[in-house]
Amino acid sequence: MNAISVQNIQKAFGSNVALKDVSFEIPKGEIFGFLGPSGSGKTTLLKILTAQLEATGGHAAVMEMPSGMMQKTAQKRRFGILTDNSGLYERLSIEENLDVFRRLYDLPKSSIDQVLHFVNLNADRKKRVNVLSKGMRQRVTLACAIIHEPELLFLDEPTSALDPVNTAHIHKGLRYLNERGTTIFLTTHDMTEAETLCERVAILHKGEIRAIGAPDELKKVHRDGTLTVELTSGEKERLSMNEDSAAAIAGWMSRGQIDRMYTNELSLGDIFIKLTGSELV
Amino acid sequence: MNVSLKRIQAIFIKDYKEFSRNYAVSIMILFPIAFALLYRSEAGDQAAIYAFIMNFSLAMLTSFVQACLIAEEKERNTLRSLMMTPASMLDVLIGKSALVFLISAAVLAFSTYLFGYETSNVMLLTAALGISIVLYTAIGTICGLYSKTLLEASLSVFPVLIIFTAGPFALAFEEQYPFLEVLRYLPSSQLSELLVAMEVGAAAGELARPLVIISIWAVVLTIISFILYKKRLMDQ
Repeated sequence: MNAISVQNIQKAFGSNVALKDVSFEIPKGEIFGFLGPSGSGKTTLLKILTAQLEATGGHAAVMEMPSGMMQKTAQKRRFGILTDNSGLYERLSIEENLDVFRRLYDLPKSSIDQVLHFVNLNADRKKRVNVLSKGMRQRVTLACAIIHEPELLFLDEPTSALDPVNTAHIHKGLRYLNERGTTIFLTTHDMTEAETLCERVAILHKGEIRAIGAPDELKKVHRDGTLTVELTSGEKERLSMNEDSAAAIAGWMSRGQIDRMYTNELSLGDIFIKLTGSELV
Repeated sequence: MNVSLKRIQAIFIKDYKEFSRNYAVSIMILFPIAFALLYRSEAGDQAAIYAFIMNFSLAMLTSFVQACLIAEEKERNTLRSLMMTPASMLDVLIGKSALVFLISAAVLAFSTYLFGYETSNVMLLTAALGISIVLYTAIGTICGLYSKTLLEASLSVFPVLIIFTAGPFALAFEEQYPFLEVLRYLPSSQLSELLVAMEVGAAAGELARPLVIISIWAVVLTIISFILYKKRLMDQ
């Protein structure tokens, strides 16, 4: 069963085409990453999937319902969303902000304790939002998005403002949520995040999907077919996959001269640049 | 349309906390009280003076506070976050308007008491002020939705304040400038007319006319604010 199914989605703002025939499917329970620079169409797609925008053409289904139905109350309980535009009530404390969402979702008070533990903010719950650091605010926004343990979670750059410790904490929490059945649709330009968290990724550029698949699969497809051997002398040899290379390696090996040896795979960032000709910004 | 008392209450409580901590906006409750105290011993037509205080208060308190509450939610993107929760459009609009309605009703009642205005028909006065609060809340919602920032919203209320408060006074020049007759249909002019008619003990028909006109304003502006809310939030 698919959590999200997108077929030939198009979106244009006047003469400016934001999405061109985008198609993909995300099975339930998957963590799916959408990679692309600013202006690539990620946010437009996210808005279409959450019924904040209407597509110009094509069809999108979220949890087996047309995406236009996502603004119905029953459907809104099923997903959570965090975008760079998600706001917080500045004069309220962290706990009071979460209490607003708890009441709107009609949840027990204990849900606040659970979600505060999840985002590692239990000790700061009484602090007003207007005195929080950017990273802490990001964690509060995430807490608001997941307080109701949604079936599907849309995350737009969830860890962009966080330090490595908090990023790791959030990743751990997201994996925990995913293990409990939450499908996660993540947009990011953090390649490490995509590789460590996502089962599959799609590379979006100028409104088109240029590649889609598991990070390892993409790396295999785009590897350059060479091998690097680091010798104990400190030298590095880049070899092609052929008989001559095999003979050279056998020689070094018999003399105990090999320190490290690895295939040369492109990173996701390199693959993105290769496919799109532009840097991730 | 999906309406939930629990969700309305959640929005009301949140707005109350924000309002009580936002002194730049909450200070507005002092204006009607100050005006009532200032004019209480003023000689002259009590109904006209009282109507001026009420009209000024409705624009300066009701419309201003509502515009600021809406614009701040827009500016900080919290309105969009609210929209992503199970709260429906009506939950949000009723929840936000309920706070402004109750604050306005309490402050106008207290100002009436301080001013010492006495009427022969309390029910009619209550109905006229109640409907006026609804329509000025709708004006505040429209101003807030049209504004991008809190500052813009607070400025956008001033034309409303000037036109609606000064409108009844401009009618004094109606004979010289006949086009000013249009100001007679302003809700503020109708409220003044109603209060004067009540004071001279006018017939039921004469009392009903201004109330009907104020009600039409309230219904039309409320519908416009609902349509605008939906449109503004979908297209941004």
